[in-house]
Amino acid sequence: MDTALIPEGVKRDPLWKFVLKLGPVVAVLIWGVVAMLLCWIKGLNQTNMNDYYGFALWIWADLAVIALGGGAFFTGLLKYIIGKEELKNIINFAVLVGFICYSSALLILAIDIGQPLRGWFIFWHANVHSMLTEVAFCLSCYFGVLTIEYLPLILENRQLDRVPFIHNLSHNMHEIMAVFAATGAFLSFFHQGSLGGVAGVLFGRPFAFREGLFIWPWTFFLFTWSAAACGPCFTIMLLKITEKITGKKLVKDDVVRLLAKIAGWMLFTYIIAKIIDTWYWAAVTAPSKGFGLMEFYSNNGFYGIWILILEVVVGGVIPALILITAKGRSNPKTLTLAVVLAVIGVSVNRWAMVLQVMAVPVMSFDQWALYYPSWQEVATTLLPVAYGIILIALSHRYLPVWPQERELNPVEATAGPVSAEAAPGAESEEETSAEPEPAPAQA
Amino acid sequence: MKVGRRSFLSFIIGGAAGTALSPLPWKLTDDLSIWTQMWPWTPVPKDGAVSYAGSTCTLCPAGCGINVRMVDRRAVKIEGMEGHPINDGGICILGLSGLQLLYGPTRVKSPMKRAGNRGSGRWVSISWEEALEEVAGKLTEIRAQGRPEALAVFSGKRRGTVPALLSRFMTAFGSPNFVTAASTQDSYELALHRMQGVQAAAGLDLANTDFLLSFGSGILDGWGSPVRMFKAHSALKDGGGKLVQIEPRLSNTAAKADQWISIQPGTEAALAFGLAHVIILEKRYRTQFVSEYGGEFEEFRQMVMADYTPDKVAKITGIDPKTIVTLAREFSRSSAPLAVCGKGGGDTPGSMNEFFAVHALNALVGGINRPGGIWAVPEPGDFGWPDPEMDETAARGMQQDRLDGAGAPPYVATAALPNRFFEAVAGGKGYPLDALFVVESNPCFTEPDPETVKAAFSKIPFVVSFSSFMDETAQNADLILPNHVYLERYEDVPNPAGFNRPFVGLVQPVVDPQFNTRNVGDAVIALAQGVGDPVASAFGWDGYEACLEEAYPDQWDSLTSEGYWMAEDFDPAPWPEAFETASGKFEFVPEGLQRGYVPAEIAGEKGGFPLVLTPYDTMRISSGYVGNPPFMTKTVPAEVLKGKELLVELNPQTADQLGFSEGGRAVLTTPTGAANVRVHLYDGIMPGLVAMARGLGHTAYDKYLADKGTNVNRLIGPTADPVSGLNAAWGIRAKLTRA
Amino acid sequence: MKQERPKKFGMVIDLDKCTGCGACLVACMSENNVPFKPDESDKLTSITWMRVYQLNNGKPYPETDICYLPRPCQHCEGDHGHSPCVSVCPATATDYGMETGIVSQIYTRCFGCRYCMAACPYHARYFNWWDPVWPDGMEKYLNPSVSVRMRGVVEKCSFCYHRYQTAKDKAIYQFAEGERDSTDLEEDEYQTACTQACPAGAIIFGDLNNPSHRVHQIAQPDEKHAGRPKNPKAFRLLERLGTNPKVYYLSSRDWVRRAGDNYLEGEGKLKRH
Ligand SMILES: Nc1nc2c(c(=O)[nH]1)N[C@H]1C(S)=C(S)[C@@H](COP(=O)(O)OP(=O)(O)OC[C@H]3O[C@@H](n4cnc5c(=O)[nH]c(N)nc54)[C@H](O)[C@@H]3O)O[C@H]1N2
Ligand SMILES: Nc1nc2c(c(=O)[nH]1)N[C@H]1C(S)=C(S)[C@@H](COP(=O)(O)OP(=O)(O)OC[C@H]3O[C@@H](n4cnc5c(=O)[nH]c(N)nc54)[C@H](O)[C@@H]3O)O[C@H]1N2
Ligand code: SF4
Ligand code: SF4
Ligand code: SF4
Ligand code: SF4
Ligand code: SF4
Ligand SMILES: [Mo]
Repeated sequence: MDTALIPEGVKRDPLWKFVLKLGPVVAVLIWGVVAMLLCWIKGLNQTNMNDYYGFALWIWADLAVIALGGGAFFTGLLKYIIGKEELKNIINFAVLVGFICYSSALLILAIDIGQPLRGWFIFWHANVHSMLTEVAFCLSCYFGVLTIEYLPLILENRQLDRVPFIHNLSHNMHEIMAVFAATGAFLSFFHQGSLGGVAGVLFGRPFAFREGLFIWPWTFFLFTWSAAACGPCFTIMLLKITEKITGKKLVKDDVVRLLAKIAGWMLFTYIIAKIIDTWYWAAVTAPSKGFGLMEFYSNNGFYGIWILILEVVVGGVIPALILITAKGRSNPKTLTLAVVLAVIGVSVNRWAMVLQVMAVPVMSFDQWALYYPSWQEVATTLLPVAYGIILIALSHRYLPVWPQERELNPVEATAGPVSAEAAPGAESEEETSAEPEPAPAQA
Repeated sequence: MKVGRRSFLSFIIGGAAGTALSPLPWKLTDDLSIWTQMWPWTPVPKDGAVSYAGSTCTLCPAGCGINVRMVDRRAVKIEGMEGHPINDGGICILGLSGLQLLYGPTRVKSPMKRAGNRGSGRWVSISWEEALEEVAGKLTEIRAQGRPEALAVFSGKRRGTVPALLSRFMTAFGSPNFVTAASTQDSYELALHRMQGVQAAAGLDLANTDFLLSFGSGILDGWGSPVRMFKAHSALKDGGGKLVQIEPRLSNTAAKADQWISIQPGTEAALAFGLAHVIILEKRYRTQFVSEYGGEFEEFRQMVMADYTPDKVAKITGIDPKTIVTLAREFSRSSAPLAVCGKGGGDTPGSMNEFFAVHALNALVGGINRPGGIWAVPEPGDFGWPDPEMDETAARGMQQDRLDGAGAPPYVATAALPNRFFEAVAGGKGYPLDALFVVESNPCFTEPDPETVKAAFSKIPFVVSFSSFMDETAQNADLILPNHVYLERYEDVPNPAGFNRPFVGLVQPVVDPQFNTRNVGDAVIALAQGVGDPVASAFGWDGYEACLEEAYPDQWDSLTSEGYWMAEDFDPAPWPEAFETASGKFEFVPEGLQRGYVPAEIAGEKGGFPLVLTPYDTMRISSGYVGNPPFMTKTVPAEVLKGKELLVELNPQTADQLGFSEGGRAVLTTPTGAANVRVHLYDGIMPGLVAMARGLGHTAYDKYLADKGTNVNRLIGPTADPVSGLNAAWGIRAKLTRA
Repeated sequence: MKQERPKKFGMVIDLDKCTGCGACLVACMSENNVPFKPDESDKLTSITWMRVYQLNNGKPYPETDICYLPRPCQHCEGDHGHSPCVSVCPATATDYGMETGIVSQIYTRCFGCRYCMAACPYHARYFNWWDPVWPDGMEKYLNPSVSVRMRGVVEKCSFCYHRYQTAKDKAIYQFAEGERDSTDLEEDEYQTACTQACPAGAIIFGDLNNPSHRVHQIAQPDEKHAGRPKNPKAFRLLERLGTNPKVYYLSSRDWVRRAGDNYLEGEGKLKRH
């Protein structure tokens, strides 16, 4: 039925199977949409947030998703600016993941604010001193950039590409993609950084507060760095999952290993910086405010010191060591383990920098506050996950995401569905007379 | 026209661009945000001309002056009246919440007649004419049967023109059963009566005290005139004076005190005698007073010297003997020491043994009618109204015994015994009652063991409530004749609790009556007219206002211009004229009384009930006639009330023994009742005690108050004091078991 | 008119006098149209611009001691108006008033991101999780000088700013009418609702920059050290964070003063005396 839309030379599930597989995901999506509408219509009393946990699951999800979406800007930077040409084979997917992450982040923000209809005040009445203002501007601009980066891929859909205007447009966009990649990298540097700044500037919260350079606390740099390190890990992780689900190899190992190596060294250097930062904070910054390190962790099991160990050692040192060794990244098992650990590490870091900041009492007579999300919060957090899966599935099905797929998974000419729609115009009664384009993936 | 793919796309893109460039989306975005700033369901208070109206707060017996901020005809804020002798600008949390009572959802909006069974909550609105006619008809019937004593009145107040009108009505009608709620003030009056031979209220000259010794009185927890006590405490702090608090729980008063001495509850009198022992032993008493005006002093001396050595007292009270000696020295050494008693908020009359002991201590240091001491303040006289004419029916009725036994042996000097009243009616003692009026009180909630009150109600066929609110008592009535709320009416507040000068505060309407309500004063006058002569002829006034004005002929100008009248230059009687006892002296040992410390009785066998439950008062919970307004309930800490569950305080050591941890659920059982509670661990309470906030556990009122926590009165029955007959219960034996 | 020094309104709260009665809480709620819900026992969603904390010395019976600490917004000045909350608000919905030292909150500007709440270590900021609802008829007592807040925005103590405006307006009018020499406000012309109500007289309010005002005399702010109190009985909450609050506390109890800030274990006695 939809074969006309499917890229040429690749094999896809029949439509009914595709739809059936996505069914549960769509159910989750609908559940999320219901929760989202509840939050918009009835207000944030639908959540379990409170005056101690003004930032909670959502802000964590935002920060995590943006860090993980960092694969897009960093891979783009490597390909277009540094010139790592091999990465062209994964850049489409990196951009797609980035697009999903950033659109999710914006959606969550729109649910998270108490007055969504006034959300634009952040631009109109901008306070330039606020890290959140910086985040909002850079995030929105970068989302625009990602859209522009993702657009050519959409336009390269077999049917759209037949329109000469669209064909030329996407071609030209590819030509100037380096400019957008550079812009994206610049914007990302700032918004990833300012997200780190969001917590780091809170001088009333010794757990979060970091000294730094000029107006930027160290977390500004650490966040950018960790996103650059862990974003690609997330891209690789999702690639592995996609390969597992589709049962196909989609990107060649050398490409993955190159990205893993770079991510590994980023992670390695990041974690050294993070350890120095943690040490300085624990030994100098916090004590100057009257806090001993263990006061931030002592009260309850949930916010125990294990959280720091999980973040720095398990989610930082170990994956970094695996990824910087050739042996570690060439073994598929250790590679997968490393990227998963790195993803956990950066997520835990964002968790601590959001939720633990809220939990630790600052006044000596105040209380530790615990919080668990309501179903509405969980559902709206899963909403982007479902949306992401759907977008990846659709893109995988209809867009030429994988330049190496045909090479890695040759399709016999006799195969049913592919040959069936090989005849031009079989489906199309429309006026267009464009010839089928033989090489959709790369110009 | 055939729409091709290209034209379709151009249309979409062109349309989108065109719309984006037009003002439409921007205007809509802006409009939407403006709409969020004035959602129609968010109220916008109407502006208007601002003015202030002065009056007096009646929400407790303190009599604070208030200024109500008005915007046009709306009252928007209650503030304390600056320069007022009682509160000088300060105001308490309840007084501040008054507008929530005025405009609140629990007001009774018109006369109501019961439609279903009692307590079923089914009512019909009726007119005032119908309501008054119905009551008058009933009363006429009772009189026609020749048993006017079958009518009783339960009034929350005893002083002022409204209680006077009620009392007058009862006299003219012919019933002795005019019962008033009791408090610490009654015990003080009785102490003054027995030891000084005077009929007077106890006034505390706090402005000149430099050492306040409190035997468990909640000086900062609602005792006496709360705002005045707060101010006095702050002045004491500023002036370098000292407050010592004696009680088994670290109350807010204890926490603020310069010294907190924990004591075995119920043994306060022994400590007072112990202090007297040291003072006498070390000759630290005021010799002149004792030698010239001390009656039975020798007997007193022998008693305390023999039986109340610091060591013996230490055994009784659990207080270190050294602490006792030091305290006695500090107390007697200061220039104007003052000892006060009456536990917590002072709503329970308490043990006379303790009042006599503490009052003797004051006498020992010469604090009677002296600066910084305790003054006998004359009761406001009658209002100059001619005695009501009584017909034969009335005269016969008045000769009947009161059902509560007050004024007759053994409680000759007690004005009313509310606890015994309900017990008698419930138990079918004496003659049956045909009708009961309940005025400005909520006995179904506030009296100890409200079940007895409800049982008494079930024996009375006709109960009329005059409450402004749908409280527990109103719910159990047959007819409600709603009073105005204090902000809508005139009234007088004479002699505020513990004030040391003759004083009257004037309550004035600051807003128009919000509903179809009437001042009780007017209702009583109308009822008298309805019953006809001779009752009617005792109520010749046009209405309550006229009656009020007539009651204060000399003070009226001051009342209306200042909002109060005070005898500025009042001095208490000097010692030579102060004592109207047979001996003309201060009786250290009131005649006919058991000498020395009498252990205060407490219900329950120790065996089955290893713990002792004591109620405590807090400023954040109103425990009297008026239920907690929403603002106050909002301030109740989560350690006291969580959701609908009440938490009781338990020492961590006791909790450990019983296997309770913070927040644990428990069943609290006393000989009187049982309740589900949760446990809050509190280091500031003596091991073995369970403390419970008073004032929660309402079943009436609105969703902001009803069904939250437990009414502690339900767990503690009254204990009659052997001297006064009034309730002396300060606690009860209890046990806590896991729920 | 003469050039005058900017004002710096602040408070001194005497913890020796405060009894924890809660009158200040209700005075504030009543003055500022603070809403209430049927259940307010979850204090993490209960709006109380003024909140009274109970501190304890951590000792067992009978050495136990407790102290109440009323906490309005501290109107932090930070470093030259860089208060923790003001600097983070992305929409400039909260601002540091250089003329008064009062940290404002504009409800119609706030879009409810709650970043300011994350920034405030005193938990002085409250979010309107629900629409404010008054029982039928009770909205009559609402004060027109203070706008009612809609759901989804943050609110906090304003030092009763509307009282300042009213007093100022009156002074300007009287000045124009020739009834007074200047538009300067006397100490008693601008007082907050909680100060006015406190039955213990524990709260004192005034201009910390004005040597004739009691707050200045009692707190004795040290200009050279960002307003740190010179009075040895006085302290500010979390002095070490550099929030530079304008609410000072007095206590004669060592443990109370120490509870006002965080100290490392073994970090000796209070730095002062
Ligand atoms: N927190 C908060 N934020 C608000 C508002 C609020 O009420 N509260 N209100 C909003 C509104 S309605 C407005 S209009 C804006 C106003 O916002 P701003 O325009 O920022 O207003 P101001 O702070 O009054 O003045 C700005 C600066 O102008 C300086 N200034 C005064 N006179 C002169 C002059 O003659 N020449 C020059 N060059 N400078 C001068 C002042 O010293 C001050 O530093 O704020 C908006 N933002
Ligand atoms: N001293 C001094 N005076 C000034 C200025 C200054 O800087 N200093 N600035 C001037 C400037 S630029 C301006 S714009 C004006 C602003 O002056 P105003 O417009 O008077 O501004 P506000 O006092 O902020 O708000 C007015 C009223 O609106 C109420 N309000 C808030 N939200 C709502 C709502 O949703 N609906 C309704 N109906 N009412 C609401 C508020 O409670 C308040 O009572 O002040 C001017 N006057
Ligand atoms: S102390 Fe009593 S009289 Fe005074 S304001 Fe409070 S409730 Fe009213
Ligand atoms: S009103 Fe005064 S005494 Fe009461 S809690 Fe507030 S500051 Fe303390
Ligand atoms: S106390 Fe909190 S809300 Fe108030 S100024 Fe300081 S940081 Fe801001
Ligand atoms: S919640 Fe409102 S006041 Fe607070 S930072 Fe966000 S926009 Fe500003
Ligand atoms: S200063 Fe005003 S706004 Fe602030 S707590 Fe006091 S009464 Fe509330
Ligand atoms: Mo403006």
